[in-house]
Amino acid sequence: MDLDLNVRKDGDHSVLEVAGEIDVYTAPKLREQLIELVSDGSYHIVVDLEKVDFLDSTGLGVLVGGLKRVRNHDGSLQLVCTQEKILKIFRITGLTKVFPIHGSVGDAISAPAE
Amino acid sequence: MDADAGAAPATVRLAFPPEARLLGTLRLVVGIVARKAGMGEEGIEDLKVAVSETCAVAVGDLNRAGVPDPIEVDLVEAPDRFGIEVRDRAPSASGGPANAADGEVDDRELGLALVGALVDDLKTSTLDGGGNRTSFWLRRVPQGLGADALDDLPPPLT
Repeated sequence: MDLDLNVRKDGDHSVLEVAGEIDVYTAPKLREQLIELVSDGSYHIVVDLEKVDFLDSTGLGVLVGGLKRVRNHDGSLQLVCTQEKILKIFRITGLTKVFPIHGSVGDAISAPAE
Repeated sequence: MDADAGAAPATVRLAFPPEARLLGTLRLVVGIVARKAGMGEEGIEDLKVAVSETCAVAVGDLNRAGVPDPIEVDLVEAPDRFGIEVRDRAPSASGGPANAADGEVDDRELGLALVGALVDDLKTSTLDGGGNRTSFWLRRVPQGLGADALDDLPPPLT
């Protein structure tokens, strides 16, 4: 089990593509990446979860932490996800009200800042 | 499983050391066993999340307490449902501090709430001699018939 992360720039946004399973073992890697992005001045982040096979509460916590960090800089953290099994986790925990969740990276980037 | 589980035998019993890196393997095995038992894909995913969250709490508790004893997991197939029981030997008072890093939510509480929302009949108790038992069931939904199950979801927790 592993977690693959890939970052690319798209205009003012940093797109973080995540592939694999996000759980208590792998989530620290995602946390470090988000911290590094913010430290490097990336305050508008799109996290693409389309290739994520599993997401647990630790992963949710890391994403919430990332959101708080970018908001400290008036930034944004948006998610891309169309997988029902992943969306269900956000829906059950009420985090669909916290994160803007889009169907594509393009939609996320073109979405108005909240 | 407890008396409510009836006479259904444990079809598979697993034991693994309290290491977070093994949770992926656990989910893989749970998925295979549940699929062989005829659970639908949505139910399988729910079981994988529930058992992973439960065992992640146990791993954290055992590590904080310095207890190397293995975590035991029973996977129980019944005619109309699939059950899981997780047992660990962490001291009951080892719940300890939240797992949340700076700026994050308490994912321990979030995880337990998630388990409660995903499965049926969640029960927790202490083991004789110290430790914790967590058990839950999920109704068997045949393959391909789980798409409407979201209609039965409880309301959001927040």
